[in-house]
Amino acid sequence: MLQKGTAKKVTIFLNEDTQHHFGSLCDSILTFLLHKEVSGATATRAIAGFGAHQVMHTTKIELLSEHLPIRIEFIESAEKVDELMPTLYDMVTDGVIEVQDTNVVKVANKDNLSPPKGPHMEMRGTARLMRIYMGESDKWQGEPLYEAIVKRLRLMDIAGATVYRGILGYGVKGHTHKSGHLLFSQDLPIMISVVDSEEKLARAVNEIESMMQDGIIVFSDVDVIRLIHSRPAAESSHANG
Amino acid sequence: MRTVKKAKLLRLHFGEADQYKGKPLYEAIVNRCKELKIAGATVFRGLEGYGETAEIHRHHLVRKDQPIIVTIVDTEENLGRLIPEVEEMMDTGMIATSDVEYMRIEKPPAAGT
Repeated sequence: MLQKGTAKKVTIFLNEDTQHHFGSLCDSILTFLLHKEVSGATATRAIAGFGAHQVMHTTKIELLSEHLPIRIEFIESAEKVDELMPTLYDMVTDGVIEVQDTNVVKVANKDNLSPPKGPHMEMRGTARLMRIYMGESDKWQGEPLYEAIVKRLRLMDIAGATVYRGILGYGVKGHTHKSGHLLFSQDLPIMISVVDSEEKLARAVNEIESMMQDGIIVFSDVDVIRLIHSRPAAESSHANG
Repeated sequence: MRTVKKAKLLRLHFGEADQYKGKPLYEAIVNRCKELKIAGATVFRGLEGYGETAEIHRHHLVRKDQPIIVTIVDTEENLGRLIPEVEEMMDTGMIATSDVEYMRIEKPPAAGT
């Protein structure tokens, strides 16, 4: 299973009609990658191109459309790529293999969203609870600040965040937050509570601080009992505070 | 140059229907906090709950009695001044304090906002 973070992206350029053991090389490579449980690979056929032979292949002229380029791409961890590379090097008798460093931002798997089966797991331990206080009308680059913060926390893989709207309050700015007489003129207090480990919250605070103009962030130590379903990606589990 | 300071978090739990001198209790408490120069106070309304009297606080058709939580973060001394006053104002309910660390964010207003 591919993880978020640094990884290697491998690109192989070859010809559509390059043979490998009486079959197409493209098919052989894909079969090999599947057998080695690579997290995913894609082969794309080009519409035109040329290679080391300096002959233009294009779909526009039938005569030249026989050797169209194919590109196979896959992303894997550095160790896995090291493991696969000797065989790939051997297989590609005509073409180019390229490896580049990449950064995996998101690995989403639809299957994980199906209702999990079986009993939940209990995780106990100590963690930090962070409460972020701000106003409802606070903005960050045009969108409500609380929405922007929750999105950012999600991107950072923070276990969970909950937004609360207060009905009355005052704080650093000295003015009272209360619901206006018109439904649309609301500036009520907002509190976001976040539970995660101290290290992860420390990273999150740096980001949040740069987004906030005014407000207060409060930390406290908590004991957590986290109920999660035993599925491989536990990133969608919730924590409230 | 971030400064994380130690402070106390005070939470007051009571009902929305609770009154003090004809005004909603939570409004009266927030006003008293301001008079006592407490750094800040926020009132939250819960959806449903129950407390000492085991009577369920929830939104009735004609009567609003949902649970109310007031949270206040300030120094121990300031809360020490506040708690006796609040205790006297509250009829039934709960007062809870916990140790916290806090970070105040105050930036000069950016141009164009």
